[in-house]
Amino acid sequence: MIRTLEQMEQKVLALKNKHRVVVAWAQDSNTIGAINYAVKKGLIEAILVGKKSEIKKTCKTEGIDESKFILVEADNEKNASSEAVRLVKNGDADIVMKGLVGTEQFLKAVMDKEKGLMLPGAVLSYVCALEIPAYHKLLFITDPAVIPFPDLDQKIAMADYAIEMANRFGVDKPKIALISATEKMGHHFESSVDYSIMCKMADRNQIANCIMDGPLDIFLACDKKSTEIKGVDTPVNGDADILLFPSLESSNPFYKGLMLFADGELAGLIRGTEKPVIVMSRSESEKSKYYCIALSCLMA
Amino acid sequence: MVLKNLNDLKRLVDGIPIRKLVLAAANDQHSLGAVYRAWKENIIDPILVGDEEEIQSICSSYNYDITGLRIINEPVPEKSVETAVKMISSKQADILMKGKIGSATLLRCVLNKEWGLRTGNLLSHFALFEVETYQKVIAVTDVAMNIAPTLHEKIAIVNNSVACLNRLGYKMPKVAVLGAVEMVNENMQATLDAALLSKMNQRDQIKNCIIDGPLAFDNAVSLESAQLKGIKSEVAGDTDLLLMPDIEVGNVLYKSLVFFAKAKVASIILGAMVPIVLTSRSDSEQAKFDSILLAAAASTY
Repeated sequence: MIRTLEQMEQKVLALKNKHRVVVAWAQDSNTIGAINYAVKKGLIEAILVGKKSEIKKTCKTEGIDESKFILVEADNEKNASSEAVRLVKNGDADIVMKGLVGTEQFLKAVMDKEKGLMLPGAVLSYVCALEIPAYHKLLFITDPAVIPFPDLDQKIAMADYAIEMANRFGVDKPKIALISATEKMGHHFESSVDYSIMCKMADRNQIANCIMDGPLDIFLACDKKSTEIKGVDTPVNGDADILLFPSLESSNPFYKGLMLFADGELAGLIRGTEKPVIVMSRSESEKSKYYCIALSCLMA
Repeated sequence: MVLKNLNDLKRLVDGIPIRKLVLAAANDQHSLGAVYRAWKENIIDPILVGDEEEIQSICSSYNYDITGLRIINEPVPEKSVETAVKMISSKQADILMKGKIGSATLLRCVLNKEWGLRTGNLLSHFALFEVETYQKVIAVTDVAMNIAPTLHEKIAIVNNSVACLNRLGYKMPKVAVLGAVEMVNENMQATLDAALLSKMNQRDQIKNCIIDGPLAFDNAVSLESAQLKGIKSEVAGDTDLLLMPDIEVGNVLYKSLVFFAKAKVASIILGAMVPIVLTSRSDSEQAKFDSILLAAAASTY
């Protein structure tokens, strides 16, 4: 079982299978910096799509040798995105990553019905592995980035994606906590309805390979002592592997708070696509950016 | 403790002080027969409210010797119900039973805001079946009163029934929430409600019972069938109480059990201050008698 992001990186490196990452609109120092680090570490090969002249200029300023990248010309964000997606779709690359292009524009190319990378009928979502020094293992959370208010079907897809990722980390039967403000069922918490339905689906093996309970608050999900104090009998038992949140507005501040105040690091990935899609925010740490790339290799 | 058959109810009644049953509009041959028998067997202490002349004539034509029985003469049926209900609300009797009067009239009196038997709980129907092919009696709710209960009403119906089963000696009755399938299906509301009821039970928001659902009828009552489907459930195959999704399913099941499976049945209305025996004219005298027995066993006074 992989317990830290560094162990995850080590596992990927040990596979010695350099994946080819294509970056859409890779002209800024931020993106090139992250990619360069991953190439230097021997994790990936990189294809940069954008204005070649701009890419070269940035490399020069940053003191990076441009010859270790393959450069592909594109004259604007839109074309860079669709070209990057095309290269993955054709098998010329394994992983696609967002550069300086806006997320919406980039995902439009990913989600294009004919030329995009969506699995048929799949829900587009996001799963993130968090390393928090105060927790005894990695914590997978979903969805802090894509679906604002997931409905029942989307929540089920989110759970499946998170379970699949946890499996890749060697957690065979992850404990998944469906997060709310309280463990009680109440009409003022709409999510508790979906959560009970999901728990029963897990009981009946309609959601497989997990131990699920919810609604639970974060204490009951991640702190065994709290379950004893509160006397709540839950199979998750303060030992959650996965937290599924009711909304983006709850999950996003959760992880950002941990990054800022609790020395958290993360590795996150888009789910629902045939090939890994990396979207990361510029404000993430260098380490987290590198881990996102490593994670995409693990999931490729 | 588990009831193997309806006769086991007698053991419960034997251990408690004899209950007073008031029969409203008592000038009714079918109800009088059952009440008379229950009186003779020391199950209840009856009070008859109704047209005394008619009561006497029915009793003499069937050779019921009712010497010593209390009769309150009230020839107007509606008035006799009012009198009977008021006797209950003033704690002079412990069980209400319907005689020759429409159910609607009786329930209207039960729900009267000034002198009725309201508790704030929903009224619901509770039936107890003795079927040869099941290892114990099985309770079914609601087959006669609530038409299409909402989740909120289902909670109330379960609470009524569980309280009754607790009084009958079941510490943690096993409740199966019935669906057409045991899987959760977003297009079947009954399966979604079942999931919610299960979770509320796990969180102790519905107490004193073990709830699982959705369960299809076969896996609710047959362990073999549950195992074949790979269902892990404390309830499957050993159900004490079946919660129906709606009155159509419930009523058809009730009548199928009676007509095809030759089941014996006892039924009462729960949720009022006292149990109400509200059998219909088409019920056998045995069913009426068993319902009186059930009411006496379930009565809290």
